[in-house]
Amino acid sequence: MPNPLEETKEQIQIDTTSSEKDNQNKFIEPQVFYPAVLIVFLITLWVTTFNIISTSHQRTRDSAITSATALVRTYEAQVVRALREIDQALNVVTKSYELNDDNTMLSLLNEWDLLLPDFLFVTSIADADGNVINSTRPFEKHRIADQSYFQQQLEFDQLASSQPWQDPYTKVWKLTFSRRISTPAGDFAGIAFTSVEASYFVSGYEESQLGKQGVLGILGTDGTFRVRRSGQKIVSGEKANFNQLVHGDEELEELEELEELEVRLQDNSWDQIKRYTVASQLYEFPLAVVLGLSEKEQMQGAIELKHVYLLRASAASVALMLLTIIFLRLSLQLKQSRNQALEEHISHAKKVEHLAFHDSLTGLPNRSFFSQLLSHGIAEAKRYERRLALLFLDLDRFKIINDTLGHDAGDELLKEVAHRLSEALRETDTVARLGGDEFVVLLPEMNDEKQLSAVAKKILCAVGKPFHLAGQDLRVTVSIGISVFPIDGEDEQTLVKNADIAMYHAKEGGKNNFCFYSDELSADSLERLALESSLRQAVDRGEFVLHYQEKHDLRSGEITGAEALLRWQHPTLGLIQPMQFLPLAEETGLIIPIGKWAIEAACKQANKWAEEGLPPRCISVNLTERQFTDAQLLDDIADILQRTAINPAQLELEITESLLLRNFERALKTLSRIKDLGVRIAIDNFGTSYTSLSTLDKFHFDTLKIDGSVIRDIANQPSDKELTEAIISVGRTMAMTIVAEGVETQEQAEFLLNSSCDQVQGFYYDKPTPPSLTNARTNE
Amino acid sequence: MNNKKRLNRLLKFALIATCCFVASARGEVVIVVPADSPISSLSKAQVAKIFLGKSRRFPDGSKALPLNQSEGNLERDAFYQLVSGKSPAQVKAHWSKLIFTGRGQPPREAPSNNAVKQLLTSHRVNISYIDRSTADESVKIVVLK
Repeated sequence: MPNPLEETKEQIQIDTTSSEKDNQNKFIEPQVFYPAVLIVFLITLWVTTFNIISTSHQRTRDSAITSATALVRTYEAQVVRALREIDQALNVVTKSYELNDDNTMLSLLNEWDLLLPDFLFVTSIADADGNVINSTRPFEKHRIADQSYFQQQLEFDQLASSQPWQDPYTKVWKLTFSRRISTPAGDFAGIAFTSVEASYFVSGYEESQLGKQGVLGILGTDGTFRVRRSGQKIVSGEKANFNQLVHGDEELEELEELEELEVRLQDNSWDQIKRYTVASQLYEFPLAVVLGLSEKEQMQGAIELKHVYLLRASAASVALMLLTIIFLRLSLQLKQSRNQALEEHISHAKKVEHLAFHDSLTGLPNRSFFSQLLSHGIAEAKRYERRLALLFLDLDRFKIINDTLGHDAGDELLKEVAHRLSEALRETDTVARLGGDEFVVLLPEMNDEKQLSAVAKKILCAVGKPFHLAGQDLRVTVSIGISVFPIDGEDEQTLVKNADIAMYHAKEGGKNNFCFYSDELSADSLERLALESSLRQAVDRGEFVLHYQEKHDLRSGEITGAEALLRWQHPTLGLIQPMQFLPLAEETGLIIPIGKWAIEAACKQANKWAEEGLPPRCISVNLTERQFTDAQLLDDIADILQRTAINPAQLELEITESLLLRNFERALKTLSRIKDLGVRIAIDNFGTSYTSLSTLDKFHFDTLKIDGSVIRDIANQPSDKELTEAIISVGRTMAMTIVAEGVETQEQAEFLLNSSCDQVQGFYYDKPTPPSLTNARTNE
Repeated sequence: MNNKKRLNRLLKFALIATCCFVASARGEVVIVVPADSPISSLSKAQVAKIFLGKSRRFPDGSKALPLNQSEGNLERDAFYQLVSGKSPAQVKAHWSKLIFTGRGQPPREAPSNNAVKQLLTSHRVNISYIDRSTADESVKIVVLK
């Protein structure tokens, strides 16, 4: 059986899943998304960082190589020029000497500025035997025949250079260069030579270009450093591997203008410092220039940069991770709250739906849901040509239970009944509550009367077991009416109506019973319909009358007022008592116009008495439950008060205790409003049902009417006496006017007088009579 | 370490002080030009520039032909100390670099105060320095501003 609830559930579920899908499309799960983004960011960051670092390293390396090449070219040019100057100056000396071997020749040349500057150079002449014969300074040495620069000139006529040597006095390293002096015949006649401090050749060392750890030097092809400088440190005479430093590839010596110089990164053998090293061999001299840039110094900037970048990247990574964690947290919270909101939404929707389709008290399907279920069931039964049974249940005497045990107990009972019904039936059967104490049971695929009887008996049995309510065990019975589709009706309304009729019949047949519908039953119910229609007519035709029962002051015996009592003066049936038509009037709602009429008529009567010169009398009119809960009641009363111009204090409305118990808060509100109009309120039938004295405390009634049943057996029942006395004393304490109803004997009257009851009414004094009679009696 | 350094510094200072004392005791170096030279006063910086190869001209635009005393002469060391504050080694390194890199030639040299005076009078050079005590009317002492 399709259940609208189920359908809606499915819809909601479809909605939620589709919205979840949307969510998934829009956002991948945050716990995946954010770390993924983080990883991408981190990878990008670090790849970029390492790229930058390696690029900067490469660039630095390239620039070191470029600048080493450029620097060594410059240095080479400087060295070559310096050597040529030396060669030229010595050449001048030798040529001059060959022309004129005068001892004054040197000083003459010096004066003419043809010699190397005194400042650095000491120029001397030695004879063929190696004896120094002249010098620009006092002789440093006197015999030089054993020196290499002397020996070499014996064989060649070209500039020769010495190994570095250390001045024995100043400890300064020097270099000596020589040229041969020849006789006109070409024989060896001696040498001209000049000495200069070795440091001269590295005086071009610039720390701004080469750094403190760079190297600049001249290396002989013999592998001896003529001079080498690093920062301020100048060394001479050191050995180094010439071939390792100089890569003049003899075989590949093409006639290029300037062969490529190879810069190599190597640990220099002399001080173990790693340098970008480059060397270039001189063409004219057996020497090579060497230049090196310390890797450490060159790369320092790049390394510092690298540290900065690494630091930044690390900081950025940490920041990114923190951000990710924060974002992740936030989005998870967001998601959670979104889910929560969704869940709340769904559960709210379910609740609303449940409320709409279910009875809030028992949780059973309500009338409207049942109506859907039934029409659906009928449609199905029609389609498959099946039968369908409808059981209409009404609890017997529920009203009494509700009135005596209280509303809460009544609710408890209904819940328990609902539970028992559900237990007693199959799952495919449906139990619904139509309201009040009416339940219906829908039995699909039920075609056998025997089966139906069995089910009905089962229900009777289940409900018939004792209930434990409000501290006491009690038994409840139920009347069941059964109608079957399609025999007893082919539509929803007919089926329900007929089941209802069958139920009434079951009730009439002694309750705790079940009854199948038949057309004869329908005829019975026609009586009811006739009554209802004639009741309706009675309102229009004004067939109602009021009888009055007077209220007497016990002490003075004077008539203080009267209670208006409704009677139906039927044209054919005669006078009908209220118990015969009131339930129907109440049920059909006809009581509203009837009641309204009664109040107005009573008020008019009060006026009439006043006109007749009688002392003002208080008129009491009873209010039924339907009247009391009618939304128009207050307006109607106000309207009547205005129209009749009666003093509102002359009108007293009587309500029963049970009426208050239905909806206490609302009842109190209504009572207060009535009272605000100036109308008196009496609590009627007091002492008959379950009453909390606190009720009296909550609202101040003007009058308390003790029910006739309470005082009936006063003579024989001491407990009744006590009860009456107690009620009276409570009423007095609350400053209520206490009226005893149903006083029938003198004994009762005397007792009430002694108990300080204020007023009485009853057969002992008079019977309810039409107003004309009342008048007559009073006049007597 | 620190103490040793401090001691070294102290010793150096003492040595320099002694040298200065000896120099001043021996006499004072004065800048001299030929007696008929229009130059009468120069600043230390102007003199230093000429003798360190950084300038070839006097402030008035005329050509400067400086003459040094020979290496080892006390006058030379005192002179450079006076005008440039450089030690003999620093002066030598300076000139080495200038000569080696081809940027200049050092002044000619004369072995003694008298040789200086002679060269000045012969107008082969036009500025030098001598010990004050050897100054005479053959040369003009330049006032140092």
